Amino acid sequence: MDAALTLTLVGISHRTASIAVRERYVVQASDLADCVRILTQSEGIREAWLVSTCNRTEALVVSDRGTQAESKVRAHLFRNLGDEQLYAYEDVQALIHLFRVASGLDSLVVGESEILGQMKRCMEQAQAAGTLGPVLRPLLQQALHVGKRVRSETALGTGTLSVARVGIDMAGRVFGRFQNVRALIVGTGETGLLVARHLKESGIGELAFVNRTLERAVEAANELGGSAHPLGDLTRIATRADLVVSCVEAETPLVTPASFDRKLLSRRDRPMVVIDLSVPRSVAREVRELDNLLVYDMDDLQRVVEENLRLRGDAGDATSSILIAELHKFLALRTYASFTPAIAAMRERFQSVREEVLDNLTHGKAAPESIQIAHELTKRLLDAALDSMKEGARNARSEESLDREYRRFLENL
Amino acid sequence: MEAALQALSVTLPSLYLLCAILHGMAFAGQRGARTTLLRVWSLRATIVLHAAWFLTRASLVNGFPVIDLASTASCVVFASALVYGILARSVQHAGSGGIVLGMMFIAQWMASAFGDMVPGPRPSALGNPQVLHITTMVLALAAVIVSGVHGALYMLLLKSMRKAEFGGRLSHLPDLELLARIMRGGALIGFLCITIGMNVGIYLAHREQLPGFGYRRGEVLLTMLLWVHFGAIAFSRHIKGFNARRASLAAGLGLAVLLLSLLLILFPAVVFHSRL
Repeated sequence: MDAALTLTLVGISHRTASIAVRERYVVQASDLADCVRILTQSEGIREAWLVSTCNRTEALVVSDRGTQAESKVRAHLFRNLGDEQLYAYEDVQALIHLFRVASGLDSLVVGESEILGQMKRCMEQAQAAGTLGPVLRPLLQQALHVGKRVRSETALGTGTLSVARVGIDMAGRVFGRFQNVRALIVGTGETGLLVARHLKESGIGELAFVNRTLERAVEAANELGGSAHPLGDLTRIATRADLVVSCVEAETPLVTPASFDRKLLSRRDRPMVVIDLSVPRSVAREVRELDNLLVYDMDDLQRVVEENLRLRGDAGDATSSILIAELHKFLALRTYASFTPAIAAMRERFQSVREEVLDNLTHGKAAPESIQIAHELTKRLLDAALDSMKEGARNARSEESLDREYRRFLENL
Repeated sequence: MEAALQALSVTLPSLYLLCAILHGMAFAGQRGARTTLLRVWSLRATIVLHAAWFLTRASLVNGFPVIDLASTASCVVFASALVYGILARSVQHAGSGGIVLGMMFIAQWMASAFGDMVPGPRPSALGNPQVLHITTMVLALAAVIVSGVHGALYMLLLKSMRKAEFGGRLSHLPDLELLARIMRGGALIGFLCITIGMNVGIYLAHREQLPGFGYRRGEVLLTMLLWVHFGAIAFSRHIKGFNARRASLAAGLGLAVLLLSLLLILFPAVVFHSRL
């Protein structure tokens, strides 16, 4: 980083503040541009960026060293908020935090990728407001790159953590595409509708709703497309379905072996899938014994969710090394960029010395070959000097020291 | 020419290994665009080079290049890779390729290691019906191998799903529907090829009045049985109660029976084949 500038990040997130607090400090998308513009109008603050989602609101500013950037951001965005609910980082620590946020490591659901889109939208708004400059623009682009790299090279973003989604993924292992699949949703409560929406997104061929109250089934069918049936039709509809998802509250199981025609079931080309998302279970245990039928309940699906969580946790080490490598790359680039005025001055000086020496030696009558040789010589000398500077920039912050800094950051979380 | 044949004989097993590894990577999970492209082109290049190997051999033996057990095995490998390539392209999935091509690597490695590097000229030239008989039967074997392997994979995946075991090694296999499609596709190609190959074989046996040939011979009966068997698998969708699970089981068992049948046919004691 440029020695004359400081990078400061101040914010609140699900780690430090409850939802009741967070919702008070949310910055609406329509106010975001004004907010960052006002921040840059504060004395000493040169660039500003702000991200505000349901889980975090945080501002990243570049200021002249010595400016009390943290207090200015606090006064502007987090007035009346206690210290324990806020976090503030400077320079490398701020970079680490930003890269962790982009990677989804700081998210409520670790590895989720929505944050990348949110960061990008906020970046575009700050760009339109003119509050991004030579430091924040490349930094945010780098952060987005880190987020994408972490998700593509590690298991951090793999596997879903939603039980309903896992259930549909399981059905996908049988049917592949859902275009030719007939699904029956038993129960049109919140979970039933969520599953139906997921199925709709997956391109389900046919959707049927069965509910105790027919009106609610009709509402669901009208909203999501499909047919509505009373509970009494369960056996008839279940027999011709490929996928049955049960999400009802019932004291005794609603879906029993009697709900299926055994003969038709064993004649089916592909197995039928029954997913029980109810607690207590609404699919009788005996249904598992039927031929050509696969049954999954909450326990089965929860196991998959836990496995996905474990895989995401295991991705931590790989993620750290990517983060440190990217930090190193960014800092080396920034250090080299801070040499730009010196490089320009050096180039000018080299050229003037060359002209001076040529004039002195040839009294203004240098042969074209001599001029070319002199040009080549200065170019090579300059290139050698620039290579040394690049090397120096790369070594300014070793990966080992960044690794230590990263560990310190994690310890203080 | 001989140097080219030797170079190809040595290269082919490595190429099949490369294909198996690249397809195995797909089995382990979704890969980048570059790896996918490499996977597709490596299989295409291997098939083309294997075809070149046969052409070189054909010009050296002055006739149909399949003359011994090693070249027959290599021919089956070639045909299997071809059938798999066609089926995988049609279903747009490479998940089971690592297994199929891994088997092909072992078979090709053995064919290259134990076959003659430079074959001598054919003792007797083959007529067109004989070439057709061999080609279709080899293709049938390849298709049935692909069908049987996918049938076995179907059973394996279904078993793990019944136990609600998700993730792990089987998680990147194609879905059950796709496995069933490849299994039936292989069976259909196998059925059609056996139909042609078997009838041409019978025609040849009658024309040549081959001693020892009869419809009650074990290998002939087995071939006919397989013809009916894979025909039933290929059209199992239209047979009541013969669902994908049963068809997959039948395909796996059919493959085992076919291998047995093949062993009998290629066994030196079989008189009418030794005459060919």
